[in-house]
Amino acid sequence: MLRRTALTAAALLATGALLLTSCSADPAPSPTTSAVADADASVALRLVSEPGNLDIRETAGAALDQLLIDNVYQGLVSRTAEQDIVPALASDFEVSPDGLTYTFTLREGVLFHDGQPLTPQDVVWSLTQVKDTASYRDSARLAGVTGIAADGQDITLTLAEPDSSLLWNLTGRAGLILKEGDTTDRKIAANGTGPFTLESWKQGDSVTLQRFGDYWGDPAGVAEVVFAYIPETQAALNAALAGEVDVVTGFDANLTEQIEAGAEFAVEVGASTDKGTLAMNSTTGPLADVEVRQAIRQAIDHDAIVEALGVGQTQYGPIPELDPGYEGLSDVVPFDPEAARELLAEAGEEDLELTLTIPSFYGTTVTQILVSNLNDVGVTLHVDQVEFSSWLNDVYTNHDYELSFVLHTEARDFENWADPDYYFGYDNAEVQELFAQSLAATDEAEAAELLAQAARIVSEDHAADWLYNGESVVAVGASISGMPTVNVNERLNLAELTKSEG
Amino acid sequence: MIRYALTRLVLLLVGLVVASVLIFLTLRVLPGDVAQMVAGVGSTPEQVAAVRARLGMDRPLFVQYVEWIAGIFRGDLGTSLLTGTPVTTELAEKAQVTVPLGIMSLLIALLFSLPLGVASALRRGRADGTLITVAAQAVAAVPVVWAGMMLVVVFAVWLGWLPAQGFPRAGWDDPAAALRSLLLPAVTIGIVEGAMLLRFVRSATLQAVGQDYVRTAAAKGLTRTQAMLRHGLPNVGLSVITVLGLQVAGIIVGAVVIEQLFSLPGIGRMLVTDVGARDLPKVQGELLVLTGFVLLVGFLVDLFHRVIDPRQREAE
Repeated sequence: MLRRTALTAAALLATGALLLTSCSADPAPSPTTSAVADADASVALRLVSEPGNLDIRETAGAALDQLLIDNVYQGLVSRTAEQDIVPALASDFEVSPDGLTYTFTLREGVLFHDGQPLTPQDVVWSLTQVKDTASYRDSARLAGVTGIAADGQDITLTLAEPDSSLLWNLTGRAGLILKEGDTTDRKIAANGTGPFTLESWKQGDSVTLQRFGDYWGDPAGVAEVVFAYIPETQAALNAALAGEVDVVTGFDANLTEQIEAGAEFAVEVGASTDKGTLAMNSTTGPLADVEVRQAIRQAIDHDAIVEALGVGQTQYGPIPELDPGYEGLSDVVPFDPEAARELLAEAGEEDLELTLTIPSFYGTTVTQILVSNLNDVGVTLHVDQVEFSSWLNDVYTNHDYELSFVLHTEARDFENWADPDYYFGYDNAEVQELFAQSLAATDEAEAAELLAQAARIVSEDHAADWLYNGESVVAVGASISGMPTVNVNERLNLAELTKSEG
Repeated sequence: MIRYALTRLVLLLVGLVVASVLIFLTLRVLPGDVAQMVAGVGSTPEQVAAVRARLGMDRPLFVQYVEWIAGIFRGDLGTSLLTGTPVTTELAEKAQVTVPLGIMSLLIALLFSLPLGVASALRRGRADGTLITVAAQAVAAVPVVWAGMMLVVVFAVWLGWLPAQGFPRAGWDDPAAALRSLLLPAVTIGIVEGAMLLRFVRSATLQAVGQDYVRTAAAKGLTRTQAMLRHGLPNVGLSVITVLGLQVAGIIVGAVVIEQLFSLPGIGRMLVTDVGARDLPKVQGELLVLTGFVLLVGFLVDLFHRVIDPRQREAE
């Protein structure tokens, strides 16, 4: 029973915790440098959000990608932490010069977790299923594929027109290879080819992966990985301090001193494609006026937001640095409250009131800065914190909003700016044309250059504001090596994770 | 007596029916679209419509309600929209955490509130009696969340005696580990609920002290404490049993908060997650079972009270 506000509790706790941590002055023993990896180790990772179910084909959400892709399920190709496309179930692949034929050489001797061998027919079946079943996630990403065929160990995909995003799409859900005729209940179990098998799922608590003994590649570095779903930040910190988890993903960078002082943890920060996106509904109302949108962007102190979050960097356009087509666009909207006031006056919006619809789990750090920044230029910002399901209904589906904030984590998602039906509602024929040309390009550099051009236009149109480009913050225990740190909110390949003895 | 029990039982059933209607309707007016949540971000309107039809959500509310209730009579509380598992299965699994947690919390609350409550009443006016009362008042005002966090910081993080969060994956196969992981959460709920109970025990004791039969006993040569222990306490016990019924509801609410804080996979945490995910069949099943449980406890307390207190039977 909450007798007082959570705020008071948090303040008291913070004081208490600080007092207590300052009391525990025992110096932590320094980690041994010559530690030997323990092949039988079990590693516990804290993750924030648990998937609703494990059906990778039908269920949305990055939580499922983090857990299953690379670790349990694999595609013909995969991506490295640096976002390079590399062979996975295919030992090799080749793209024809005209960009219309993709040939993959399937590895031999690959086994599914239930012991059945991977056959070329499984690959053809898997990709065809995804392409032909509209209710499967990312089904549309294979829409341009006109033929999927196997000849010996060679799998050939043919296209009517080049698609520079196809290989990337095959590294994601659309490209995952499942066993034909498999009767596994995908909602609660999995049968893949990856280095880990799905051992158990305790709903509302944890998922356990175990090393797959018959894996075709290098065996996983640890015998067991436990994904412990601990949404509460404080509970996660406590678990780390009490030595109950070895790795904390989604760590709050502002707690770095606490975790590094109290336990053998190091906080590591990696680049990510998380885009803190302030969507602006430019289809109706005051935000239909480009001057108003520009004024809002110029009123926002992006450096202050990054500083308050403790990590990340500023981002002034739709493409983050990890993705192709990135360029620095800070010149488009320098922080300038005076210019913002003038723009609002020109637009005749001196007493503007706007509503920001934001899913409640994002906290208040960003909104406090927005309210204060906009207030400085004479704009009253009402913040409407809603549950995610309400956001999904009102903002995402019905486009009923003025301003909205969501952290878009997906890599290479520029397509949303070329889709007028997306909740951004941004409709610019030139951007759509440039995006189409980029997809049709057969040269990577050319495709990236076209994306960069399109991204500049989106930013110059002030279609939205990008408050920050987030970073992955991971607190890693001293005995752990090989923990990925780049873009872990989206993918989390744990094959090389190891834990040293002692 | 039997007539009383039957009347009380009918009331219980009416209460359950009213609760079921309220639960069903309240969940339907929550903002947010279940089908959209199930279909997820990136789904087309056609995909959402297909989900809505598959879940039977395009039918009239009355039909959906009747089907839900009809299912309950077949022992079927429905199926989770997200995981596809039966609600009864998940409830049974999560009850393995929440029920022991509740029992432990109640025991801890009773363990210190009964002796301390009586003692503080009998020592009214003395320094130690006042100290207990003031301390209880202070503890009862502490938010459960804060109490839990402080206990974790001291006993898990600082001293390392008990786990900070979670429930062993082996569950009750390893009873010692399971009990250890429930101890801090149970103490947290137990002391806050117990502090409230203590104040009640104290006032019930004070009331009993002033009764004629205690005074008569004292006049016959017993000390006030002896008179109280022999003749007063049974009456205090009766009042406490009544309050315990209410306390159960408080413990359930406490469990919702504490299971979040300690990441315990129990009914409370499941409820919070399911409301957020708009997994309506699960939420309504969970709420109905919890409501039924609280009503049942009230029913049993009333019956028990009547059985052991002759005055109530005579009044009939």
